[in-house]
This record gives sequence, C-alpha cells and structure tokens, in this order.
Amino acid sequence: MKFGKIAAATATTTALAIGVAACGSGEPAKTADPQASAAASGPKYAGQTLNVWRLGAPNDVQNKYMADLDAKFKEQTGAEVNVQWIPWPDAQKKWTAALAGGEGPDVTEFGNDQVAAWVSQDALTDISDLVKSSPDFQQIPQNLWGYETIDSKVYAAPWGGGTRAVLYRKDWFKSLGIEVPKTWEELVAAGKKIVEKKGKDVDGFAFNGGSDANMSLSPFVWSAGGDFAAFEGGKWVGKLTDPAFKEGFQFYTDLVAKSGVSGKSRLSQNSVDISQRFAAGKVGMYVTGGWDIATIKEQSKGKVSEDQMAFFSLPNKEGSGPAPAFQGGNDIAIWKDAKSPELAAEYLKLAAGKEYGTRYAKEGGLLPLYPDALAEFASDPVQAPFAETFKVAKGFPASPNWAEANDTKAVLQNAARSVIEGKKDADTALADANKELETILNQQ
Amino acid sequence: MAQTSTVARGGGDSSAPARRRSHRPPRRSSGLPAWVVPYALLLPGLLVIAVLLLYPLYQMVDMSFHKVGLRQIRPNPQPAEFLGLDNYTQVFQSDLFWTSLRNTVTFAVITVALTLVGGTLVGLLLHKLGKKMSTFVIVGIMAAWATPPTATAIIWKWLFDADAGVVNWALNLLPDWLSSLVFGRSDWSGQPWLNDPTTIYLVLIVAVVWASFPFIAVSVLAGLKSIPSELYEAARVDGSTPTRTFRKITFPLLKPVFSVLLVLSVIWDFKVFTQLYVLAGGTTNRDSFNLSLWAYTEAFSAPPKMGFGAAIAVILTVIMLIITAVYVRQIVRTEDVR
Repeated sequence: MKFGKIAAATATTTALAIGVAACGSGEPAKTADPQASAAASGPKYAGQTLNVWRLGAPNDVQNKYMADLDAKFKEQTGAEVNVQWIPWPDAQKKWTAALAGGEGPDVTEFGNDQVAAWVSQDALTDISDLVKSSPDFQQIPQNLWGYETIDSKVYAAPWGGGTRAVLYRKDWFKSLGIEVPKTWEELVAAGKKIVEKKGKDVDGFAFNGGSDANMSLSPFVWSAGGDFAAFEGGKWVGKLTDPAFKEGFQFYTDLVAKSGVSGKSRLSQNSVDISQRFAAGKVGMYVTGGWDIATIKEQSKGKVSEDQMAFFSLPNKEGSGPAPAFQGGNDIAIWKDAKSPELAAEYLKLAAGKEYGTRYAKEGGLLPLYPDALAEFASDPVQAPFAETFKVAKGFPASPNWAEANDTKAVLQNAARSVIEGKKDADTALADANKELETILNQQ
Repeated sequence: MAQTSTVARGGGDSSAPARRRSHRPPRRSSGLPAWVVPYALLLPGLLVIAVLLLYPLYQMVDMSFHKVGLRQIRPNPQPAEFLGLDNYTQVFQSDLFWTSLRNTVTFAVITVALTLVGGTLVGLLLHKLGKKMSTFVIVGIMAAWATPPTATAIIWKWLFDADAGVVNWALNLLPDWLSSLVFGRSDWSGQPWLNDPTTIYLVLIVAVVWASFPFIAVSVLAGLKSIPSELYEAARVDGSTPTRTFRKITFPLLKPVFSVLLVLSVIWDFKVFTQLYVLAGGTTNRDSFNLSLWAYTEAFSAPPKMGFGAAIAVILTVIMLIITAVYVRQIVRTEDVR
C-alpha cells in the first residue's frame, strides 16, 4: 500500500490546524531543481533559497548572529537563506509534519539527544565524508561526536554544548537576603521565602510538568544516585522503583505538594511557559539552559534585565557539589529531503565551522566545542555554572523508544501529577510508571 | 400532532412547486436526456466531497489496518506492514481507551443537552423581543459563536486561572456562609481548575456551550418565524399555558429543526479537540484525554504511530455514525408516517 502525499497532508491537518501551521504556510513555491552548474560566472548557487530551521525563540542577539551568518553565506554561495524559528516544545511535531508532508527544512538545528530517534526515522543525511574533509570539524574533540554517530556514520555536527542549571532572580535573592542554595534544604527554604515575600502566585522554584519535565526532574534523581532505566541482559530494566530514584522523585513532587514553592495549578507547564512567567516576574528559580537569559530579557520588555538574572548549578542533596544535569547540546544537521544537499552542506560547514560555530555557542548561551574557545569560558561568571555541571552531566536512556515514554505517554509527568494530587502515593505511582516504562522501552 | 404539521407544511408549499414544474418542458434545450440532468448537476458536489472527504476517510481506514510511521508516509514511502486488527485490539486493551471514551461520551451527553436547552430558550426569548433588541442580542451572541475555538479556550482558561482568574475572585466575593453552604468551602484563592479531569471538563463544557448555543438559538428563531401566528392565537383563545403551547405547537412543528440541530451538536461535541487541547495544556495530562485528543497524541507525538491513531479515529467515527444513523432513521420513519 502506497500512501500518497494527499493522505499524508490530510493526516497532518490536525497538527497544522492548531497553530503549528507555520510550516505549511512557508510555501515560497520553489520549483527549482538543484541547478548546481547553472551560472558559469558569479556565485554558484545564485537565485536559490535555503530553508533553515532554528530552534527556540529568536532574540536580538540571535537574529544578529543569523543575519551575519546568512550574509556571509550569500557572499560565498549566492544563495538566500530563509530562517524559521521553531519553539523547542513544538519541534517534534514540526519535524513529524515536515517528514509527512515533504515540506521540510534543508538544514535544521537539532537537540543532540534527539538525533538517534530521527535517524531511525530516516530524517537526516549521512555527513560522514563532509566531516572527515573539513579541517574545522576535525578540531572538535572526538568524545563530543557520541550522540551524532550512529553505526559509525555521522548524521549531525555538534554546534554548541549545553547543560541545565538553575536560573534565578539575582535581585530578589539580594533584597530578601537569600544566599545561593548549597543543599536541597536551602533550595526549598529559598523557594519558600520567595513565595512568602513575593506573593502566592509566584513560584519560588518552578515545577516543570510539561513536555520537557524530565530535564528538570533528572538532576534530582541522578543526584540521589538513581536513574530512569538500565540496559541489562539484552533488555531495558526500569529503575524507577529504586529507593534512590524515589528519593529524588519525592523531593521533586514535594516542591509542589508539601513545601508549596510552586503553584499547584501549574502542573503541566513546560520550560517555555515557565520562562514566560519568569519574564512576567512570577518565578524565582527554575531549571533551564543559558539561552533563556536573552529571551527573557526581551520578552519582559525591560522589566527583567540581564543583571537581575543569574545561574547557579543545582546542588546535590548534601551540598558536596553540583548535581548531575542533563547533558545536552545542539547540533546542526542536513534534512534527508533537502532540495539541494550540496548547498545545505555548504551552509553546515560555514555555520558549525570554527568562526560561526564558536559565535553560535557563545552568543546563544552554550558551551563552545572548539577547545581553545572552551578554555576561555571557565572564567566567565555567567558560563561557569554550566562548565562546572558539564563535567558531571548525564543522559537519558539511549533507546529510540525513550521519546514515546517522555512525549506521547508522558509517563513520569503523569506519575508526578497523580502523586501531587494525592491520587496515588509515590511507591504505587512509581511502580505503575516503572511497569509502563519497561513495556515502552522494550517494544520493537 | 401529526395532523397539525401536515396542515402547516402542505399549506405552505405544496402548490407553488407544482406550478413551477409545469413551466419546465420549454426550457429543456440542453440536449441531455432528462434522467442525466440531476446527476450532472450533482457531479461537481460529489467530486469535491469525494476528493476532500471520502478519499481521506478511506485512507484513514486503510491506515488503521497497517503499521504506519513516518517512513511509510514520506515522499518515497516504504510499504506499510499489514497488521489486520492488531491496532484495534491494542486500542481496546489500553486503559486510556476507556477513560477517553468515558470522557468523550459524558462530555457529549451533558454538552448537547445544555446547548439544545439553552439555545432553545434563548431562541424563544429572541422571538418575543422587539425588532431592535432582538437584532442587538443576535449580534451579541453570534459574536460568541464566531469566536475561533482557540480564542474561546484561551479566554476561558484565563477566566479560570487559579491566581489571577475572575472566577476565583468572584467566588471569593461571595459571603462566606453562602459559599460554605453551597460549595462546602469559603476560600477559593489559588483553586486550580485545570489539573483534574473533572474540573477541566467542567470548564470545557462551559466554554463549548458558550460558543455553540447561539447557533441553536438563531436556528430555532428562524424556525419559530415560520410558524403561522394563527396557531398561537388559537391556542391563546383556548386558554393554553405557555408550557403547553410549547409542547403542543412549537415543539412538534419545529421537530425537523431540532432533529438536525441534535445530530449536528452530537457530531460537533463528540469530536471537540481544540478547546480541550488548550485547556488541558497540551498532551501531558492523559487522564483528561478524549478520543480525539488521544488519537492526535498517538499519531503525532514522537514517535508517531499513525496507524494506531487512525484506529482510534475510526472507532470515534463509527460511534458517531451509529448514533447519527439511528437518529436519522428515526426521523425518516416519522416522516414516512406523515
């Protein structure tokens, strides 16, 4: 049975109808078959347009970077660049729609942990040869190509390294006399104080229960010594019922249920919702990455400026060091359906090359991957917490099915919700979740 | 009952079309045989329906028997594996199916009832109002109907916001004794409305009824205008009470209108999606799924299981078709009696 394009388009209508629509309406009706050898004089790709998807919300710094990058690209190749910004939580659905409808990007930014899942869907182009032939890429340390290499083929280039830390209101901490928390206990105390002084509708430490909740939950369980699942004897074994996992999970749900440092009415907010509330002066602390500072500054229209925000590494329970956080990072990859793979390759080489790759990371609040640039970073006060956390960072279960547990079924989000609402105790909730997680991870 | 309506209908239109029909022969100059003409005229409509509705519907049913992921629907697709009824067995075995079905049906029953009753009452009111006032009210309520579902949902989400919402503020304004008497509590600050499925659906019912009763009201009003006023005069002379007049005259005469409105409302309310998606805050709260939202989540969240999602959608469609078919049959039967 061959499912035609019409069927695919119909199937995605629901996705488009609710406002994920930007993709379909991009249609700058390009009939252009790649005419690589068209113009003898002048830039090789003049007149062509390259569609680039960036993730996140654009801000002035990022727009400036993209403008510089695209101008340089046009100078080199003569091709125009059409940039589209996709919010992180929507990215999965947008890529799905793009694959289904065939109207996708040529080059797209990627979360490095997502590469494996999308390679298994045939979404990305193999760029092994390109990587080998580029002197710039050879400077990026080998251990940073882990997520991108599948069956010894490379499908994406690392663009910037990132991990999560806690973004907090520096000015509130100062005026309320709060020190940067060194233990979990101090974290809760700081949160309580903020709620008490700033009002009940303010989240002292915002609870993330939305699509990217596990980014926020994981530092707590990892720090307590737990993990989500382990690959043992040829299959995935859920570890949610381990006492260590339970300790972290219990602490995370108690942020809402017991200590009330986050509002009970906002159980399904994701990191984007929280950052918007942060910009509105309704959040004291939350777990996120360095890119949020610039976005929040812009969204708050001057109400929350750069010097009112800062990061600290989430401490482990006893306060002997930073808690392990999600080891993330962003990649840049060539979409399998790219109209002109050669042009896309040129763009990738330029964007992730040393000059623009380093600028991308620095200006986007990420860690640069080129060793000499990274060395400068450890002394930067804004970036130091990330550099520190990066050393102990960890990843989620490396199964292509993890996305289903995290996204479609939202296993842990629902477990946390039922505990907070008092429908189940933590033991029952985790036992149920564990069973479900194992089923999902082990399915074919 | 049946008699009155026959009189009304027959008196209205039986003679006119007959006369028109007698003018037809001279016009027949197209050269087509007579029996072709109706089909030729139907053809464009049928084509549009076939392309936009029947083909996708066929694809959906077909997908529901296959394992369809992204690889199978890409521009150069791989063949989809035939699963037989596997997708359906999985749907029926899933706990989520039963909660979603329960949510869907309960919501539809309550909402359809409230929409029809509310809409009819407003329709009757509009009929009584003077011309200016009635126009004013119609414009007002039609604005609610014309509001896009996303906007409706966001407005209601704000109204029911735990901290800054008008609803909690208003409930707090109630005298404590009254509030405790009715709700068993007096402090409403920070009351979360959009966590628990029950309260999410409460807000959803309010939002959907608010947006859909105007259509019913205006349709009922149009129906009311077509009832000859002599009937009401006769009823008044006979000393009939308003309720009795409604039961014996208005309702029987408007029965065809109500039938259509009921079927439409059932269909609309069974497949409500946008408002629920917004109110539940995305797809993480799976206790509050209805069948549409569940189908969407399975089909489009990573990793997409479109065959499975299609199976859910087929089940939803079949349920709606059964309800509609039973009802339409009933209508047709009553028409036959006449």
